[in-house]
Amino acid sequence: MDYSRPELADRLAAEYVSGLLRGPARRRLETLLPAHPALRGAVRAWQDRLLPLTAVVEPQTPSPEVWKRIEARVHGTAAAAAAAPAIVPAGWWRQLALWRGISAFAGVAALTLGAMLANPGPAQPPVIVVLSATAPDPGGAGAVAGAVMPASFVASISGDGRAVVTRPLANFVLRTDRALELWAAAGTGAPRSLGLISAGGATVVKKTMLPAGTDHLAVSLEPAGGSPTGAPSGPVLYVGKLTL
Amino acid sequence: MPTPEPTPQRDWSDRSLELSRLLARAGLGDRAAFATLYERSSAHLLGVVLRIQRDRAQAEDILQEVYVNVWRAAKSFDAAQSQPLTWLTSIARNRAIDSLRRKQTQPLMQTNFSQPDNEDSDVYDTVADDAPGPLDLLSRASDARALASCMQVLSAQQRQSVALAFFDGLSHAEVAANMRQPLGTVKSWVRRALLTLKGCLESAAQRDTGTAGR
Repeated sequence: MDYSRPELADRLAAEYVSGLLRGPARRRLETLLPAHPALRGAVRAWQDRLLPLTAVVEPQTPSPEVWKRIEARVHGTAAAAAAAPAIVPAGWWRQLALWRGISAFAGVAALTLGAMLANPGPAQPPVIVVLSATAPDPGGAGAVAGAVMPASFVASISGDGRAVVTRPLANFVLRTDRALELWAAAGTGAPRSLGLISAGGATVVKKTMLPAGTDHLAVSLEPAGGSPTGAPSGPVLYVGKLTL
Repeated sequence: MPTPEPTPQRDWSDRSLELSRLLARAGLGDRAAFATLYERSSAHLLGVVLRIQRDRAQAEDILQEVYVNVWRAAKSFDAAQSQPLTWLTSIARNRAIDSLRRKQTQPLMQTNFSQPDNEDSDVYDTVADDAPGPLDLLSRASDARALASCMQVLSAQQRQSVALAFFDGLSHAEVAANMRQPLGTVKSWVRRALLTLKGCLESAAQRDTGTAGR
């Protein structure tokens, strides 16, 4: 069959998406999809047309076992166990004092372009924070991360504190079993995860709001998937101070 | 300005916006985002799967497979190409339909349809239990303005055949058996219904300049 014929592609796509194409014919179409852009386009168009109809199907909450089985399969059983109540290492954030020392020592360049995060006004300019490597020799940290590490990260916080964009000054590649996690710390409180960030380019982290009083941002090295405990579990590679 | 009344399509887009972000983060390996994605979408997907695969244990197995795949494929999801909820739903539907093929099971029917010689009996009266039949769902989905007018263009039989196939995953032959109609007749109803729907939705999309194309 000539799947590039638009009417045929469209008819097959309609039957495929509506669920009427079955058995070998369904398999065949699925095999052809990657190589036939016209067919793929037709399928996508029918999905856009028909699948919103499923919005009216009554949701059914799956039993909790389903998620446990999924977690065990995608993160391994250990991760599934760790994902139970997160145990925060006691007083971990006391190391914050250390971060501060390090960051002051490393001469963190913090440029303040906006006013207090805790009191966002309309249309405030973003706050730029430079996060410097905690190790005096980035190569040392690189040995941990399995990569040559750039000297610093730049984080730009939107004026209303709702979004953070991070970017390494030089892109690098982490070992596949490692990830970088961004943290916000306020005073002596426990740091809060803002999520994983990319070592290879810009990451937009959207948060409803940075924790009030956030005065430090830090990047830690974590196992792939992020810290299993809810607090930084690996070495803190970068830290930057918000000057208010 | 289009009226800001909630429609399934609009709601679909709104939910998709958040899921898009979660999917992107899951693609970076963010487990917390993946967990939230599951939290926000799994009940919808299970609902969709359960209409097609009525066996709950099997439906939950399918759901598990779907999310394992989603975790692995999240990196390749392209928000510019499709809406996440559409993407997730299509993965779930495909799995559910495949499970029917393997088991050759016939889903339990909740709705009896009128005989051709008994046209005036109201199909909505024959719904057996509390769960909405496929036609109820279609009429609910029709609350969206564009769909509502498009559904009016379809004949009752066209509507029934599309609803049985789409929501409950019946094959052409099963739709034909269910509606007690020849296979060829049902095939042409469905085909014409889908084409009508397409033409109608496309012209509605052209009128509604406020909404993005895809």
